[in-house]
Amino acid sequence: MNIEKQFQGIAKSQFSAPDGDAFLEKLHGERQKRQQRKMGFIHGVTSAAIVVVLGMITSSQLTDDPMVYASTDLIPVETMDAETEEFVYDLAVYLVDNSDDIWETLAFLDEIEFEPVVTMHEEETE
Amino acid sequence: MKTDHELIREFQDGNNDAFDELVKRHLSETYGFFIKFTSDEVEAEDLAQDVFIKMYKALKKFRFESKFKTYLFRANINMSNTYLRRNKWRNLLHLDQAPDQGYMDTSLEDEWRRKELWDAISLLPPRQRMVVTMRISQEMPYREISNIMGISENSAKVNYHHAVKALKEKFEN
Repeated sequence: MNIEKQFQGIAKSQFSAPDGDAFLEKLHGERQKRQQRKMGFIHGVTSAAIVVVLGMITSSQLTDDPMVYASTDLIPVETMDAETEEFVYDLAVYLVDNSDDIWETLAFLDEIEFEPVVTMHEEETE
Repeated sequence: MKTDHELIREFQDGNNDAFDELVKRHLSETYGFFIKFTSDEVEAEDLAQDVFIKMYKALKKFRFESKFKTYLFRANINMSNTYLRRNKWRNLLHLDQAPDQGYMDTSLEDEWRRKELWDAISLLPPRQRMVVTMRISQEMPYREISNIMGISENSAKVNYHHAVKALKEKFEN
């Protein structure tokens, strides 16, 4: 291949430039399309980042220690609302009346920190 | 007639028509650069479009330290390098589509040779590649090449000489 000849061939090759107005129309159309695509990408990344941050915050609130959940689920009687408290009192009476083993029932009530039982214990120890 | 710098100033002040005027003024040489480079009208138009889209952003921060023409030419060179890199794999994958030497018509043969030549140019060291690209696509004088590249005129000549020598060796072998 004759390099110089090839170079000259390329340099001398004729062309006709595209129409300026049509080129500009395409140019701005493409530019706006790319801008929209870029904004879509930025919104996507932002949304993903928010989901990740919220996920991390949520998972940081979780723990492997079951006592943490037990402590919030088995709240002491004194912090119960009136309706629940009444129900627990009725349940306690029912358990005491119908239990085969009264000591086991009392031990259970003591375990859930049922107030009358706790008070009774305190009085006994005093 | 307004100068390129005046148009850029107006564009920076929010006049988009000034940008359009600038594009129209330099469209022919930019398109010409890429058509010689790719021999493909569609690709040349796409590459010219990419350059001007980049310009639309970049000109907002243009600091008037160089001529716009020089700035645009550097952008063209960068775009051509990106194009060559992008097409390196594509060309490798399409080697099997090389026309059979015995049955080629002249125009196809010319086109294929030109493609081979640009592929070889893409493998030259960056400085040599830039000098050769400017010489053959725009027939640019060495002085202007040296201004654009920020090297001496002699260095531009030496780089061109080495590039041609390397290309000759490649095709003779």
